[in-house]
Amino acid sequence: MHAEHPRLLSVDGLSVRFRHHPANIVDDVSFTIGAGETLCIVGESGCGKSLTALALMGLLPKPAAQVAAGRAVFEGEDLVALDESRMSDIRGNRMAMIFQEPMTSLNPAFTVGDQIAEAVRRHRGVDRAAARGRAREMLEQARIPAAEKRLDEYPHQLSGGMRQRAMIAMALANDPALLIADEPTTALDVTIQAQVLRLIRQLQAERGTGLLMITHDLGVVAETADRVAVMYAGRIVEEGPVAAIFDDPQHPYTIGLMGSVPSLGRRSGRLETIPGLVPTPEAMPRGCRFSTRCPFAAAVCAETPALTEIAPGHRVACARAPIELRVAEDAA
Amino acid sequence: MTGAVLETRGLEKRFVTHRPLFGTPTEVHAVNGVDLAIHEGETFAIVGESGCGKSTLARMLIGLIRPSAGQVLYQGREMSGLPQKQMRALRRDLQFIFQDPFSSLNPRMTIGRLVEEPMRAHGIGTPGERRERVGRLLARVGLRPEHADRYPHEFSGGQRQRIGIARALASGPKVLIGDEPVSALDVSIQAQVVNMLEDLKEEFGLTLVVIAHDLAVIRHMSDRVAVMYLGEVVETGPVDAVFDAPAHPYTRALMGAIPVPAPGARDSVAAILEGDVPNPTAPPPGCRFHTRCPFAVARCTRERPALADMGGGRRAACHLRDELPAFDTRAPEPGRTPGAARRFELWRTARSAGQDDRHRKTTQAEETQP
Repeated sequence: MHAEHPRLLSVDGLSVRFRHHPANIVDDVSFTIGAGETLCIVGESGCGKSLTALALMGLLPKPAAQVAAGRAVFEGEDLVALDESRMSDIRGNRMAMIFQEPMTSLNPAFTVGDQIAEAVRRHRGVDRAAARGRAREMLEQARIPAAEKRLDEYPHQLSGGMRQRAMIAMALANDPALLIADEPTTALDVTIQAQVLRLIRQLQAERGTGLLMITHDLGVVAETADRVAVMYAGRIVEEGPVAAIFDDPQHPYTIGLMGSVPSLGRRSGRLETIPGLVPTPEAMPRGCRFSTRCPFAAAVCAETPALTEIAPGHRVACARAPIELRVAEDAA
Repeated sequence: MTGAVLETRGLEKRFVTHRPLFGTPTEVHAVNGVDLAIHEGETFAIVGESGCGKSTLARMLIGLIRPSAGQVLYQGREMSGLPQKQMRALRRDLQFIFQDPFSSLNPRMTIGRLVEEPMRAHGIGTPGERRERVGRLLARVGLRPEHADRYPHEFSGGQRQRIGIARALASGPKVLIGDEPVSALDVSIQAQVVNMLEDLKEEFGLTLVVIAHDLAVIRHMSDRVAVMYLGEVVETGPVDAVFDAPAHPYTRALMGAIPVPAPGARDSVAAILEGDVPNPTAPPPGCRFHTRCPFAVARCTRERPALADMGGGRRAACHLRDELPAFDTRAPEPGRTPGAARRFELWRTARSAGQDDRHRKTTQAEETQP
C-alpha cells in the first residue's frame, strides 16, 4: 500500500488535552496518509476523531484545548509547531477541510462565487477576474448545474446537497495535497449522500489528493477507505487496510461496533450491543479504555495495550488479540 | 393481526409557506392523498428522505397536526373532527417519541416529573402510585429509580431517548409512534434502543409506527413499510418483499444509495440517482418522481399513477411496475463478511457467558455517567 502512495502526512503520538480535564481527549494517536490515499477514521461521538482533524488544521478551540504532545509532519513541516501565520498559508491551500454542516464554513453574507474567489486570491495572488474564473471552473467540477448563475447566489439559495458541493469546490480550489472531510455526508439524504461521495472519490482520483475521512458510518467507510483507523475514547484501537478491518476485525470494540449495525439483508436475530456507555474524560478507565465494556476483558487489560502489528499493515491495541487464541487458552 | 388500529383515508396536509398581501398564497402539499392501514401489534415503518412528508404524516396520525383534507381513524373512529376533550382522551392511547432527545424534554423538570406528567394529565393513579410507576418505568428502560430526581442535562443522548420512551409509556398507550427515534444516536447506543423498543413492544402489546430514513434499521425492526416521496406513498408492503424486490424505481434508488458496510459490496456507481428532490411548492405534474426516474416515459409526465395492488399485500404507484427490469440484489446476506461473522459469534458467546457479571458493570457504568 505504502509503496504506491508516497507519504504525505505522518502523525506521531498526537495528544490533545482540554484544560481542567485529567485525561487526554486524543491520546497518543499515530497514523500516516499517502498521496491519493484515503484513510477513514471511524468512531462514535466523543471518540476524538473530529478533534484529531481540528488539531491537524490548527483549529482547536484555544485556549480550552491544546496539543499536549506529538508531531504531525505534512510535506516536511510539523503542523503542531507552526505559528498561526504559516498555518494560514497552508490551510485552505495545501491542506483543506470540509465539514458536516456547510453553513458553518460558508459565510451567509457573501455569494458562493466571492467566497471561492477569495480563497483563490488569498493563496495564489491572482486578479479578481482570474479568481472568479477559477471559482466557476470549480463549481463546474463539483457538478453544480448552471455554475455561472450559482456564482452570484448566496449559500441559503442552494439546497443542502448543492451547498456541500460548493464547499467541496471551495476546499479544492487551490488543489490541496490533503483534504480532511469531517462527516461530509452525515447531514444529507441517502440519494444525495451517494452523489457527494461519488464526487469526492472522482475529484480525489483526478487530482491524487490524500483524503482523511472522518465518519461514524461503517457503510461510508467500506465504500471510500483504503485504510481504516477505529477510534475509541481518544485512542486508535485498530488500524489496517479496509478489507482486513471488515474481514478480520480484531479489537473487541470494532467487533461490537460492526455487530451493532443492522444489515440491509434479511433480519438475522437481535442486534449485538455493547453494554454501558462511552466513559467520560473524568472517569476514564485505567489501562485499556474499552475494558469496562469488553466481554473479553481480563486482568491484563489494566495496562495500556500498545498498537501492535498482527498481520502486515494491520495493527491492534488489545492485550487479548488474537482473540480466538486467547479465548481458547481461557477455556483450556 | 386483527384489523386496522390506525387508518388514513385520502389524508392531505397543505402548509402555507408564503402569504402575499395580494394574490394567491404559496402552499406546500406536504402530504398528498395518503391511504394507509396500520394493523394491531405490527411494526409499521414510514421511510423517505427529508421533505417527503413523513413527519407531518406521523403528527397527523396522533392528531398533533390537523389534516387539511381526508381522515385519520383510530379503532374505526374518525379522529380529525374530534373536539379537544375527546382528543385528549385519545392521546392516552397514542404516544409519540421524538427524534431529538435534547429538545423534547423540558430542561426545568426533573426526570421524575417528566415521566409522571402524562399520568397526571390523564388523571391516572394517586401521587404515591404514580411515583412507584415512575420508578418501575425508569428501571424498565435501563435507568435507575434514583435518576428521577435529576434533570435532563445530566444525561447522555441515549439516556435521554430512554427517558423519552419511559414518558411515552407512562399513560399506558396502545400505539407508539416514533419519529426517527434512534437516528440521533451513536450506532452502539442505537442498537441498545432498537432492542429495547422490540422488547417493550412485546411486553406491553404495542403497535409501533416508526418513521425513519435509515433503511437498515427499518428492515431490522418492522413488519411492513411504506415508502414516501414528495408527500405521496409510492410503495407499501411487507418489509422483506419490498426490500428483496422493490417495485417502485424510487425504492430501488433508495436501496441502491445506501452504503453497505462490506468493502466491494457495491462496485459500480451507475445506479446513483441524479438531481435533487424537486421543490415541494411546485411538484412536477404526473408522477412526482418522473424528473429523476431513469425509466420514465411520456405517460409519467402527464398522468399521476395510482397506488395499485400487486398482490401479496403490496402496492406500488408506478405506471411501469410490471415492465421494469428485475432488481439485482446487491447486499451480500447477511451484509457482513464470514470473518466478521465468526468474531460476532465469539462476541455473542462472551457476552452471554459474562451476562450477570456484565450486567453489574453496565449499571455501574450508567451510574457513574450523569
